[in-house]
Amino acid sequence: MTATLTRTATVSRRQVKARRRPDQVRSRLAAWIAVVLIGLFGMLPVYWLVATAFTPDDRAFSFPPSLFPTEITFDHFANLAENEQLFGYLVNSVIVSVVTAVLSVVISAYMAYAFSKFRYRGRKSLMHLVLASQMFPQALLLVTLYAVFSASGLLGSYTALILSFTTFTLPLCVWMLKGIFDTVPSSLMEAAAIDGASRLRTLHQIALPLAAPGLVAAGLFAFVRAWNDFVFALTLTDPDRQTLPPGLVHTYLGEFQTAWPDLMAASFVVSLPVIAAFMFLQRYLVGGLTAGAVKG
Amino acid sequence: MNTRKLSDGQFAWLLMIPGLALFLAIIAYPLASALVTGFFEQSLVRPGRAFAGLSNFADVLGGDFWPVLRNTLVFTIGATLIPFVIGYALALALNSGIRGSGFLRGLFLFPWVIPGVVVSFLWLWIFNANYGVLNGVLMELGFIETTVSWLGQPVTAMIAVIVTKTWASFPWMMVMLLAGLQTMPKELHEAASVDGAGAVRRFRSVTLPHMKGIAGIVLLLEFIWNFQHFDTIYVLTGGGPAGATKTFAVAVYDTAFKGFDLGHATALGGLWMLLLLVLVAFYLRRETKERS
Repeated sequence: MTATLTRTATVSRRQVKARRRPDQVRSRLAAWIAVVLIGLFGMLPVYWLVATAFTPDDRAFSFPPSLFPTEITFDHFANLAENEQLFGYLVNSVIVSVVTAVLSVVISAYMAYAFSKFRYRGRKSLMHLVLASQMFPQALLLVTLYAVFSASGLLGSYTALILSFTTFTLPLCVWMLKGIFDTVPSSLMEAAAIDGASRLRTLHQIALPLAAPGLVAAGLFAFVRAWNDFVFALTLTDPDRQTLPPGLVHTYLGEFQTAWPDLMAASFVVSLPVIAAFMFLQRYLVGGLTAGAVKG
Repeated sequence: MNTRKLSDGQFAWLLMIPGLALFLAIIAYPLASALVTGFFEQSLVRPGRAFAGLSNFADVLGGDFWPVLRNTLVFTIGATLIPFVIGYALALALNSGIRGSGFLRGLFLFPWVIPGVVVSFLWLWIFNANYGVLNGVLMELGFIETTVSWLGQPVTAMIAVIVTKTWASFPWMMVMLLAGLQTMPKELHEAASVDGAGAVRRFRSVTLPHMKGIAGIVLLLEFIWNFQHFDTIYVLTGGGPAGATKTFAVAVYDTAFKGFDLGHATALGGLWMLLLLVLVAFYLRRETKERS
């Protein structure tokens, strides 16, 4: 009896293997074909950005373009370094993005904590409102924000930019941080309460330190979103307060002939901090994405 | 302040005050005032306004609305379904146990990580009519004989913005769908295999049902985002040529900031927001279902 059972088990396992082998070869092959094809679509443009940034002007503007560099130049990066206007945009970008990130994290941490650790009337509806708010049309919001900032005299200031960026970083941070606080065990807070700590002290000395990595991640996401924003920065600022994305448009587009290699070099530099941030954020990626809209 | 006397609910509300204040000031109030402004004749650059009743809405519905809705739908559907298919194929490929899939996943994130405005510059350069690499490659391969002005013709311009947005968002689809695939118990596939199901059958009967939830959310979110997408279209075509890529975002922006016509801009924007609200309501219902 036992013998037959073992034998059928072996046979069926062998059958499975026999069935799986050609199957597996085929699916591996299909997988590699997909990876290579999509890889070409995904990577060739990135390659072209980098290649153009290092190509001398006369070669970049020859047609058909040579796909492989025969000559490499660092001139375009040198041009960037000498461009004071661009340096100004860079400084604006850093100021605005850092302040947006810090402000968003500080304010949303309290809100997320309230959402995560307490149960009260109106909590669910408010959470939904926050989640929904990041899906309202930005271009429409922009039109009335312009009117609001114009009436309050904030138009053109850093404050206008930071506040307008908060419209999409705040909901994002609230949802991310709620997820983080959910993972901090409530028993720790109850223990602190039994030891006589106030709720505010429990929040500051126990919950926040435990959530610190999450706070950093949320801050980086907010930083990236602010760094990448184009339409608010294009419209709500004076030229001397403008950040890099609209700044690059002003510097390079709309002229008679665009200096493409210079623009690609600038694009390369603008992308670097974002790429660096995402390398750190890899493991928060999926959680952060499901928690809210990272990219609109 | 002594918070010990407060109930938990009161304390929670106290914590939310700064966030709620900011929320009301910069999101709720502007959006509400946008909806009101739709009923007024108002300029962006001159103070004062006059009540206009429904005339802005009538103008919009009799003019811009329908072509803009059509363009928005074409763009949104294209820029949602194409990256979905690509992202799904890639997620399946990376989940099939091929070597280096972790590294490849990171590599494929690049297009998505790059700032939106850089994405636009890059593709503007690729599609460039005179020196663009796309024309260069297609001519070398013999697909076209003369250079094509991709962004200068209505149909190719729409295709171009869809391709650009596809490039920028398929990695996000890939990450989300891959996360879904990785939560699928291996035993399910093995059991189906023992029962004699081939790869196609297993995909249809095991993988697809398991992925329904996440695929639905991903499609819906991407649809909502694309429905209000601005950057790529604005930089690549500015809504042209001849309004062929003019979506709601571009139309509202142009009406307000080039035509300075706040009344018409917000009337169009209000209709746009109504459509979005339906989508967002779907999303919230699914979210609530998923979480409970």
